[in-house]
Amino acid sequence: MSLLLEVKNLQVDLPTDNGLLHAVRGIDFEVRRGEMLCLVGESGCGKSMTSLALMGLLPRKAVCRAERMRFDGSDLLNLSQAQRNQLRGRRMAMIFQEPMTSLNPSYTLGNQLCEAMLEQPGVTRAEVRERAIYLLHRTGISNPEERLRQYPHQLSGGLRQRVMIAMALMCSPDLIIADEPTTALDVTIQAQILRMIRDLQREFGTAVMFITHDLGVVSRIADQVAVMYAGQVVETAEVAQLFAAPAHPYTRGLLNCIPVRGKTTPGSHLQAIPGVVPSLIGAVSGCAFRNRCALADDVCEQMPTLVDTGGDQRHWARCHKLGSTAPTQEIAA
Amino acid sequence: MNAPIMNQSNEIALELCALSKVYSVKRGLFQPPGEIKAVNDVSLRLYRGETLGLVGESGCGKSTLAKMLLGLLTPSAGNVLINGLEVDPTQRKKNARHIQPIFQDPYSSLNPRKSVAEIVGLPLWLHDMGTASVRQQEVRRMLDLVGMPERTHSQYPNQLSGGQRQRVAIARALILKPDILICDEPTSALDVSVQAQILNLLLDLKAEFGLTYLFISHDLGVVEHLVDRVAVMYQGSIVELESREQIFAQASHPYTRMLLASGLTPEPGLGIPELTVAE
Repeated sequence: MSLLLEVKNLQVDLPTDNGLLHAVRGIDFEVRRGEMLCLVGESGCGKSMTSLALMGLLPRKAVCRAERMRFDGSDLLNLSQAQRNQLRGRRMAMIFQEPMTSLNPSYTLGNQLCEAMLEQPGVTRAEVRERAIYLLHRTGISNPEERLRQYPHQLSGGLRQRVMIAMALMCSPDLIIADEPTTALDVTIQAQILRMIRDLQREFGTAVMFITHDLGVVSRIADQVAVMYAGQVVETAEVAQLFAAPAHPYTRGLLNCIPVRGKTTPGSHLQAIPGVVPSLIGAVSGCAFRNRCALADDVCEQMPTLVDTGGDQRHWARCHKLGSTAPTQEIAA
Repeated sequence: MNAPIMNQSNEIALELCALSKVYSVKRGLFQPPGEIKAVNDVSLRLYRGETLGLVGESGCGKSTLAKMLLGLLTPSAGNVLINGLEVDPTQRKKNARHIQPIFQDPYSSLNPRKSVAEIVGLPLWLHDMGTASVRQQEVRRMLDLVGMPERTHSQYPNQLSGGQRQRVAIARALILKPDILICDEPTSALDVSVQAQILNLLLDLKAEFGLTYLFISHDLGVVEHLVDRVAVMYQGSIVELESREQIFAQASHPYTRMLLASGLTPEPGLGIPELTVAE
């Protein structure tokens, strides 16, 4: 599969009242055509800022720097606003977390679905309408013709998210960025939506960058996974490899603290990760995870680099202590 | 409908008798108002020392039920008994001695203008318990118990992380030494690594104070870890009530089975479950 998106040393800084917030601190990743990359991390780890930087939708005062940010041959760093608009919606599209707030309440669904595609030269209104109906049908919405005349408030959350997905697919983009698309939905609806995203992605060969905090979702849907912590990618690997042999202490901690049937004894203490995520305001030095890590020692005062974990897998982790097994963590609640 | 109970006493801490809540909705100018049955004829018993899980999807009436238990909503029909005595919604202070809530969103459930110590101490002050210095001591002891370090006691909610806020909410709920805690999705707004800390804390506190929990959640992994019995709620009614082992091994109601099938545990290779549900 050929390379679609290449990001090298992306940094996003946000000025706040208390100082400069280093939301994204030099991350590298690649997305190949037709691939599903999951960015996984807890709130505040910079995963949403990364997606907004790619779409060119960062807040005005944010400062975005990168060594390289190439999308299918074009350099995203030096695009004019007009060139950006050519890409957005057509070549790369976004599905947001909140289906309740990301649709405009005062326009019909048909209006919103067709808007971006009508901007393209040489398409007729009838063609656009036909595609909208086709995609609504494919995303599992009944009576698509009727729905085009409806307003967002007439739809449930699950249906709205389906409309968002249909909208993202309208111009057959090469890349879809999905930022927590199922977090606001019920579990049964979540399973249906995930299944649909996966099926459509395979059928249309669209690359998807899927952003989530839920390792359960990641394990079922991803091809590649990048685990983020405090604005950095701390581990990246193919999905089976990551879950079979997590290398970074943070990834191991995340996997251990979720209650799983058959693995954790009900009523027993969970292996929580002690402490909290460090503040990213001001200068950050060394390994950001060292204050919560059982393996940390003096070496961890130095910033670790992303290194190959060995073996023939493409498996990288940002840790000085790779290979050393964790002592059994006895952790206070 | 009650499953056999293990390691709990047979003393009933909380009883719901045919509890219903009906909202009327305006349909049109000349049409009679319609009715929405948010909670429909729910009877449940919580035994002292047990954790009862209440699961269901959004809109199924879980939170309405919780509000009625706390006396924050008046039931349309039926009643709630705490330790065998009927709850009078006009006697909120009396009810508060026995039953306390922990809400989902620790960002909106704490007063932003009060310090941590003030928030936790307010119930004691309202109930006129002890002198100022006794209250202060009690607040410090309770905050210590939930793992809030001394330096945070004078801070305000906006200076705290989500997990710390939830700890404050737990301290506030426990300061009057209630028997029953209603936990309405207490960890769903938190990150997974913090969720584990809070769940561990709830387990410890239950053992220490002999508390009875009604644990409302949509996360079946968490429910299985924490509860003794599970009640499954669907469209305002309890459709299944069983022991944890029973419900996770062989659920009988199709809705419960669907809920169980749609939970995504971190196991690559299993794929996404195929579900056929009408919205």
